[in-house]
Parts: sequence; C-alpha cells; structure tokens
Amino acid sequence: MLRYIAYRSVVALFLVWVVVTAVFLLLHLIPGDPAELLLSQGSIAADPAAVAALREKMGLNAPIWQQYIDHLGGVLTGDLGVSFRDGAPVVEQIAKRLPRTLEVIVTAALIATGIGVPLGTYAAIHANGRADGAISFFASAALSTPVFVVGTVVILIFAQKLKIMPAGGFIPFSEDPVGHIRLLLLPAGTVALSLLAVITRMSRASVLEVLQRDYVRTARAKGLPRKRILRRHVVRNAMIPVLTILGLEMGTLIGGTVLVEFVFNWPGLSGYLVAAVDARDYPEVVGIVMTISILFVFLNLLVDVINAALDPRISLVRR
Amino acid sequence: MNRAQRKLILPTAIAAIIAALVLLAPFLPLADVRLMDIPGRFSAPSSEHWLGQDEFGRDVLSRLIWGGRASLFIAIGSALAAAVIGTTLGLLGGFFRGFVEVITVRFSEVILCLPPLLLALLVVTILGAGTWPLILALTLLYTPNYARVVYAATLQVRSLDFVTAQTAMGAHPVQILARTVLPNILPPLLVQMSLVVASAMVIESGLSFLGLGVVPPTPSWGLMIRAARGAMEQQWLLLVWPSLALAGTILTFNLLCDRLQSALDPRGVTGGGALWLRRGRNAPAPTPVAKVAAEADALLRVEDMSIRLHAETGMIELVRGVSFTVMPGETRAIVGESGSGKTLTGLALTGLLPDVLSISGGRALFNTRDGTQVDLSKLDEDAFRTLRGREVSMVFQDAAAALNPVLRIGEQLGEAIRAHNDIDDAALNKRVVALLRQVGLPDPESRVRSYPHELSGGQRQRAMIAVAVANEPRLLIADEPTTALDPTIQAQILTLFQTLKDETEGMGLIFVTHDLAVVAEIADQVTVMYAGEVVEEGPVDQVFARPRHPYTAALIASVPEGGADRLVAIPGTVPTPHNMPPGCRFAPRCDHAIAACSAAMPDIERPAPDRRTRCIRWEEVT
Amino acid sequence: MTGPLVQAHGLGRNFPMRQGLLGRPRDVWAVRDVDLTVARGETLGVVGESGCGKSTLGRMMMGLDAPTTGSVEFDGRDLADVKGGERRRLARRMQMVFQDPFGSLDPRRSVGAQIADGLRIHNIVPSDKIAEEVLRLTEQVGLSPESVRRRPHEFSGGQRQRVAIARALATRPDFIVADEPVSALDVSIQAQVVNLLMDLRQDLDLAMLFISHDLHVVRHLCNRIVVMYLGRIVEEGPAAKVFGTPAHPYTRALLESTPSLEPRHAALGDRVLPGELPSPMNPPSGCPFRTRCPIAEPACAQAVPPLTPQEDGWRAACIKAGPVKIAEPA
Repeated sequence: MLRYIAYRSVVALFLVWVVVTAVFLLLHLIPGDPAELLLSQGSIAADPAAVAALREKMGLNAPIWQQYIDHLGGVLTGDLGVSFRDGAPVVEQIAKRLPRTLEVIVTAALIATGIGVPLGTYAAIHANGRADGAISFFASAALSTPVFVVGTVVILIFAQKLKIMPAGGFIPFSEDPVGHIRLLLLPAGTVALSLLAVITRMSRASVLEVLQRDYVRTARAKGLPRKRILRRHVVRNAMIPVLTILGLEMGTLIGGTVLVEFVFNWPGLSGYLVAAVDARDYPEVVGIVMTISILFVFLNLLVDVINAALDPRISLVRR
Repeated sequence: MNRAQRKLILPTAIAAIIAALVLLAPFLPLADVRLMDIPGRFSAPSSEHWLGQDEFGRDVLSRLIWGGRASLFIAIGSALAAAVIGTTLGLLGGFFRGFVEVITVRFSEVILCLPPLLLALLVVTILGAGTWPLILALTLLYTPNYARVVYAATLQVRSLDFVTAQTAMGAHPVQILARTVLPNILPPLLVQMSLVVASAMVIESGLSFLGLGVVPPTPSWGLMIRAARGAMEQQWLLLVWPSLALAGTILTFNLLCDRLQSALDPRGVTGGGALWLRRGRNAPAPTPVAKVAAEADALLRVEDMSIRLHAETGMIELVRGVSFTVMPGETRAIVGESGSGKTLTGLALTGLLPDVLSISGGRALFNTRDGTQVDLSKLDEDAFRTLRGREVSMVFQDAAAALNPVLRIGEQLGEAIRAHNDIDDAALNKRVVALLRQVGLPDPESRVRSYPHELSGGQRQRAMIAVAVANEPRLLIADEPTTALDPTIQAQILTLFQTLKDETEGMGLIFVTHDLAVVAEIADQVTVMYAGEVVEEGPVDQVFARPRHPYTAALIASVPEGGADRLVAIPGTVPTPHNMPPGCRFAPRCDHAIAACSAAMPDIERPAPDRRTRCIRWEEVT
Repeated sequence: MTGPLVQAHGLGRNFPMRQGLLGRPRDVWAVRDVDLTVARGETLGVVGESGCGKSTLGRMMMGLDAPTTGSVEFDGRDLADVKGGERRRLARRMQMVFQDPFGSLDPRRSVGAQIADGLRIHNIVPSDKIAEEVLRLTEQVGLSPESVRRRPHEFSGGQRQRVAIARALATRPDFIVADEPVSALDVSIQAQVVNLLMDLRQDLDLAMLFISHDLHVVRHLCNRIVVMYLGRIVEEGPAAKVFGTPAHPYTRALLESTPSLEPRHAALGDRVLPGELPSPMNPPSGCPFRTRCPIAEPACAQAVPPLTPQEDGWRAACIKAGPVKIAEPA
C-alpha cells in the first residue's frame, strides 16, 4: 500500500510537470505572436511599439528553450510573475484565494456524496419502481442544467422572491462564522447539484451491477443479515467505480466553481480567473490555470489512494 | 422494435424538432433579432411577442431560436471535428499499437490533465472571444475523449477471436479495420457523440455567460441568461426562457445518449434491483414455517417442484415436476446439459433463485437439525436466512466470482460463522484457521489475511468450500464445483468433498454437474435432467451399467471414452423454453421415437424398485 | 503420411513482466524449447493444464504470435522471413478454429458473408461461383442452406462452431490449428463436432494441431500426442503409447486424475497429485515437474531432463522415464 502511494505520488508529480509543460506549449504552439494576440482587440491591429514592449516583458525574445527553463524555474520557486494590471506578484493573489475555492469544492463534494450514495443505492434496490423513476428523472434534469443556470435561478428564488438567503458575497470565517457558512451554502450547494446527479446515477448503476454478482449470492447463502450484506458486500464494492467517476468528474467540478464563484460573487481563485481572462492578464491566467490544474492532479491522487484502500486488487493491477 | 428502441423515439423526435427550428430559422417569420424597441423593453408575453421582449425591447422568441442556432452550431461543429480527429487517432493507436499508440494516447492524456473549462479559458485568453476560437477550443478539448473511447474499444475488439480469425485468414489490415473493427466500435462512438454535444453546449453557454464566448450582438443562450441576470428585478421571465431552452436541449441530448446506450448494448441493462433487499417485500404471502412432525428418514424430499420465469411475454416454465430425495449421508448427483434446469433446481432449494424466477408448484420438505420439517418451496427471505449456511449450504461453480474480491478470506469465512453463532474474536479466529486447515489450504494462519486474488483457482475453491461447511450444514449443494478446474486440481477437490462427507456424519450432498465421469466418481444416486424435466433416476452404478432412458444411454455413449471409432452424437440441439416439443421433450432427437411419444408427456415408469424413467418405450429400447 | 508440413525448432515465447515501479522485468516463459513437427494428414494433440503454454504454442504455430526464440517453418519456409502480401497469401494454407463459439464470429455480419471472406481474399473460386461454394461448405459441415443468410446469434454453440470450421475450410488449407474447439460445448454437441472433425480430416487430408485439456477427446481424435507442463514438452509420441503406457510421471498423473465413467477401484485419494502448478515467473530448477512428482529424487533438480527417445517416435523428458501400464479399463 505504501509503495502504491509512493508510486502514485511520483506519477502525480510527473503529471504536474506535464501540466506545466502543456500550458507552456499551448501558448507557443498557437499560431501567431502571443504578445500581438494579447494586445489586439478584434480586428484592430496592435501598436507595434506596445507589442515590442510586451515581448520584452514576457521574455519572448529569448530562445524557446531558455523561455521553457525560465517557465519551469518560475513554477519551482513559486515565482509566477507579476500581474499586468497592478504589478503585484501573482502568487499572493493565489495564496489568498485558493483556500476559499477549496472550501467550496470540499463542501460540495461532501454534500454530493452524502446524499448521492444513499439515493442511488435506494433507487437501485427499488429499480424500475416509481421512486426509482423519480430519482432518475431528477438526476437527469440536474445533470442537464448548467451550474450557472442553477446558480442564477437559485438567486432568483431564494434571494429575489423568498428573500431568505443573501444573493451572494463573502464574510471571513474569523469575523462571523454563521454568516460565513450561510454565504457558503448557496455556492457549494449549486456546485454540488450536478455532482450529486452524477453520483446518484453512478451509485445506482454500480449497485445494480454488484447486486448481480455471485459474491452477493454467496453472502446470502451464508445466511447473513440483510444490513450486513448491503453494507459490507453491496455498497462497499459498488463504491469503487463511483469513486473512480468522482475523480473523473473533478475537472467538471473545478470548472463549475469558476462559474459559481462568478455568479455568487465568492472571492475565490476560480472566479478571479474570469476577471483575469477578461482583462487578458496573461501572467495571472497562466498562474491560476496551473495552480488549479495542479490541484486537480492532487485531488485525483487522493481519489486514487482512497480507491486503492477500498480495493486491494488495484495496487497490483494498475500499471 | 424492442422496448429499448421504442424509448429512443421521444428524444430523437425532440432533437429533430430543435434541429429543424434552428436550421429553418432564416426562413421562419421571426422578428429581427437586432431590432430594438426601447419603449417595449421588459414587456410580458403578448400576441405579437410570444415570449415577451428583452432589456432592449428585442423579441425573445426570435433571439431564442437564433441563439440556439449559434449554440448548436458551435457544439455540433466541434463535436464532429473532434469525432473525426479523435476516432482516427484512437483507431490507429488501438490497432497498430507501438509508436502510433504512444503519440495518440499520450497526447490525449496530457490534454485530459487539464480541467476542461480552464483549458477553454486559456485558449480564449490567447485568441480572444468569438465563435471560431470557441470551436477550436472545444475541438481541442474533446478530441482526446474520442481518442480514448475509440482506442479502448478498438483494443477490446482487436483481441476478439473473430478479428484474429481475419488476420489468420490473410485479410489486409486496412480491410480488417474498415469491415470488422469500425462497425463494432460504432456503438460506443455514437454514445460518445451525443454526450459530447451536450457537454460542449454546457461549456459554450458557460463561457458566453461569463462574457468570454459568443460576442454580442450575436444572440446566444448563455448571453441571454447573463443579460437577464442583471434585469432579474424588472422581468424575471427573461431568465426563465433561455434557461429552459438550454437545460431542455442538453437534457434531450443526455437522454438520447442514455437510451442509445441501452438500445445498442442490451447486455448493459442490468436486472431489476433486488426484491430480497426491500423491506417488507419478501415472498408474496409469507407462510409460517410448516412444523410437521418429522416423518420418514429422508433429509430432503422434493416433490413435483416447478420453476417459472416471469417474462414480459408471459410465464415460461423452466423446470417442471422435479422429484427426488436425499437421504442423510447420501450423495445425489443432478446431471444434465446446459438448459436442463439442474442449476435452477439447486438454487431453488436455497431460495437463491433470481428475482424473475420463482417456484410455481410442488414441495421440498427438509428435515432440520431439531427434528422439524419445513417446506423449502414456501419460505420467505427471513425464514431462509436462518436456514442458509446452518442447515443448507451451497458451493458455487466459479469461486473467483463467488468470493468478494475486496474482503480478506478470514473475514468472509468469519462472517459466515458469526451469522449463526455468538462467538468472541479469539475463538472465531481459531475456528477460521481450523476450517481452512480442514479444507487443505496450505499455511492457513497467513491465508486468513489473504485476498481471493492472491490464491490460486484450486485454493479459492477450497476457501469457498470452507465457507459452505463452516456451520456443519445438514445438506450441502455443490453447483458444478470442479468445472472450471484443471484435471489434477479437480481430483483434489473431489477428494476433499469425499473427505468432508466422511468426517461430517449424516451430511447429505447434492452435486450438480454436466460431467458424467465426475458423477461416476463421486455420487451414490443420480438424477438425469433434460430440458427442465427429470428423465431418469437411480443408483449410479445401475444407471451407468444399464440406462433405462434413451437420453441417458445416448449421453453415456457420446463421451469419448473407450475404443469406439465413432462417437454417438445426439442429433439436433436442446429445445429452448419457448419452443418445448409436445409430449416427451427428447422425442425430436430420439432415435427410438414413435408417434405416441409426442402425443402426451410420458409418465414416470419404475423399471426397478429404486429406479425411475420417463420413457414409454424403456422396455423395448434399453 | 509424407514429410513434415510444419516444423518448430527450439520455439520459446517470453512475456516479460515488470514488477513494481523500478523493478527489472522478469522473464516469464509461456513456452520454452519446443521442437515439434506436424506431418501432412496428421492430427497432433496437445494436452496440458491451463497455463502450460499450449494456446501460445498454437498461436505461434499459426504465425499469429512471434516466437522469442526459435522458428516455425511451414512447408520449408520460415514464417519470420515471409512478410506483407506474401505472408497473407501463405495464410490461405493455415487456418484456425477457436474455443469460444460466441466470440469467434463477427456478430454483425451474416455467416455466409464471413465464410465468403476467405474465398474473396484468396480468389479461391471466380466471384460468380462464390455463393455456390459457400453453400457447398455449409453443407459439408452439416448446416442447412438457409443458414448462410442468418447472423451468428441465431445459432447454438455447436452450430456456430460448425460455421467457424466452414470458414476455416473455405481457403482450402493444408493445416488447421484447433484451440479447444469443443471445450465450450455440451457433451452431446461435443460428440457432433468431434465426429465432424474426424470426417474432415479423412476427406480433406488435413494436418491438424488439436489443442485440448480433455484427454478423452484428444485420445479419440489424435494420432500423436504432445503433453506439456509449464511451457515444456514432457512427453511426445503415438497416442496409443502415450496414453496406454505413459513414460512420464506427469502424463500418468494426468490420466489418473481424469474422472472416468468406470471408476478405477483404487480410491480417488490415492491417485491425486499433490500441490499446484508452480508460477511460471519462478519455475523450479531442473525438471519443472519435480515439485509435485511422486518419484522425484535430488538428481531431478540438477538439470532440465532432455526429451529422450523411448521407442521409435516416442520421447519423454524424465530421468526415470519408462512405460507404466495405467490401471484403467479399456
């Protein structure tokens, strides 16, 4: 097990390198001069002097390998450059905002698994019944509604019409814990909804499949109590593929925070990305995209490790 | 057209209507999407503007349809582009492996390291917002998805025997790809396609909503929601229309994907849940355990038992009128080919029939340890639970599947003991080790902590047997326990059964198998089944020495043992449950059949006191 | 019987397995040092338990898998030297029948079209005669003429296996590798297919490599037998000799542990071979069978015993080899 964790960590570090390299390559592989592209607005050509200045600032005049080494070195030393807009180091903004985004992600994941797994299991056991139909339809609908639509409609209902929740904003936990959590609930719940749908559907499918397995029949043949079969043999085994899916969905979840933080005015890292893209503040965008992608890699590592703990076969089979 | 295909009609029809609307948008009598009408801003739906007017007084319905045109153009365009590139990459990578594989698959994995929306944002930062950058970003985003799906499908199809057969036949690789591989990977590809369209719409609308996608004044659903969000207080309906249109369209594509999946891959549709797990929903009418004074000496007396399948098309009887007895300490073999109903008979006696099957007639009287008699055919799940493991136990064919792969052997064995005994941990552990030693598992002290995959096939079957005999059951039912094993291991396991029976006094054994030679080695009594019926029964040595049913005789003669130059082959195939012949079910394949055989179901005849046969001509032909 | 049609020299196949992240790949030999010849018109049976390498051997003899060591010669030509179009033309003369009757046919195409593939690829008959030839082939394997238009799922297991045989026969091969062709079938159906194979062998003068774990079937069908254990041949010779008076202790054990309709009088327990197949990743030194062998002695661990001739065409790889009559009726 320890060896497996070590192995997966090495793979994760490798993936981090891949991400950093991919971001670098993407910038240099897209046809055209990045500086010129960044400064142009639609069909209006950029001012040549400004382009030259920006090229100098971005270090685009150095040979490509030199740029790559600078890029890697910057990531390693935590120097992600300074913002075009205010000249402040990008790392500062990231350090301040990352915890807030993590907070939303973790709360959403907890809500979604806490409700999705029991819901999916119930639907599977009562497959093709009325409750199953209702749960499946709810899951399909939730899955098909983009987070920003959910978020906007939630604001319309809870803040605009019912006036029971604030429309968004942020209060630091240290100042007002209750207010902080109140403000956290809507964005986290919104992000959780589509994940909840995914987990419910996956749990249902997975439990249905496990129910057909021979070892469940064996468990019955032993004369075990229903509850034990359900907990120890059905749900435990069914969670393995669900967890794998959770890892795959992490990307969507992170994408969801971008929109949700924007909608609810939550001052996290993802929402800040929108402003950076809007201003085409290149160092900020690259810094945030890399940070979040690295976070993505490590969340996946976490999922892998939990999965290996659940399934002893994994540490042997997977590569 | 089956049910899965019928369910495709609805989403396909809606998708077609949406497609028609956006395609025909230029020809429909719609208001100009850019025509402003400031005095009419935020007005509610009217006969002139069916869905009302927006913040600039523009017609909402018209903008909705044109907006859908933009969204779908981007989503379907990039889905198609990604499909073509991704499929090519995946196909090449999966079929030729090696260098091509490294390029295509690794390239895909790099892209998949980045969260999708972030990748799109990165592209938009560099290229600026607009329709074409969006298409480029989405194509880049989804190509790896296709490559991965097609690659995996190709690898799977490639390893199938029929593709190997094409290679062995000398077919050109390109010919194999086009004729054999591509058609077989189309189903996952189609599913992926509708999934990607839905997903691309989510990202496109999200970017437009952020103001980083489609550029105004081109209408788009994301942009409309963005604008309506600011005007929520004036006219909240403006938020509802594009939200409904967007969610509805995505829902349609998601439904299309789901239903395509189940229509294209019928195996993917799993059963209907678990009746036995539902609270308060057990047997239709839970009958109390019938407490009859123990008569006779038989351990189990099955009388006229039938098993039925509840299918969509009606009831089908899979097993009809099976009767046999098991005496204490006796081994009864139930032998038959596939479709004979032998396994179902075994499962029915432990109440483990799949939910779609049920016992539809007859009795199965079992004498328990404390001397009462229960009818196994009438028990509900709870009543069965107290018997299973303790009184009646089962060993299954495929031990690799019958053991839970993620639990240690010790736990799986221990929980079986604990289900029927109040026992502390130390005693339990001792008992587990003792059992594993009893079934001949080497090094039982450390095997307790092993997982099933760490054992060999023979060892797994030993562990399975240990689970079954953990509570010294009175009746052990073994369903093809040696079929998957090699000859030398099979001999070991058969010996183990023999030893266990010698050690456990009075334990009856029902041994279900298709292998006549195994029957000859292990059983005292044999019941021969064919097409859901018992055709012959008697002591093993007598039945094998002189079968009194033509089917048994033919079955014995078809075993390639002995010096015969040509094997006796039974012509034709076993009838399916939907097409049972009238009268004797073996008559159509029987060399001795006469008209009377097909007239009525033959009665049970008794050639000797302890033998039975279901053949009207047994005296003449055997 | 004339000269050899297929010859294998020193055939070996290694599937190296990497252990852990930095572990060096370990050799796992599925097949090792196999010398084999199949004469025209001969049926050679390969028996052994799962994991003994018999299927890998079959694939290499077909040229579907490249040997790690040694070579396969078909009609005097080394398969490794023949490439591209010429290799595909050579494929006409060698065909394969698989174990799983459900996986070996393309579920999406009619069986007629699949039988016709070989005819088209190798221009066996003019294109206007293809339909006629397909009908002749289906009749030859005992299927009705209307079957050609049907798809595989409409057939039972035994019928599909007939289709697979018809497909193999279409190119008029000289050599057929049959990998467990009857193992997935019921006894009564198995007999039908075994009889069909026997008829075809006589009518078409086919050379066949028949791979099976069922000793009874192999004994019934084959002229010559090869017994494999852990990737090596332990005994080879005429069927009557190998199964009548086996010279190698493994062959004896295999025969004794195979259940029989007429059980020998010795109790089953006395005939049981202890232990299990050693891991091919970590084979025993010397004779691979010595860890389970009832007559093993220290000398067995010294070196792999060579296949030594017993009688004409009969060899066994055991330092204590010698014919022993099996206590079995018939």
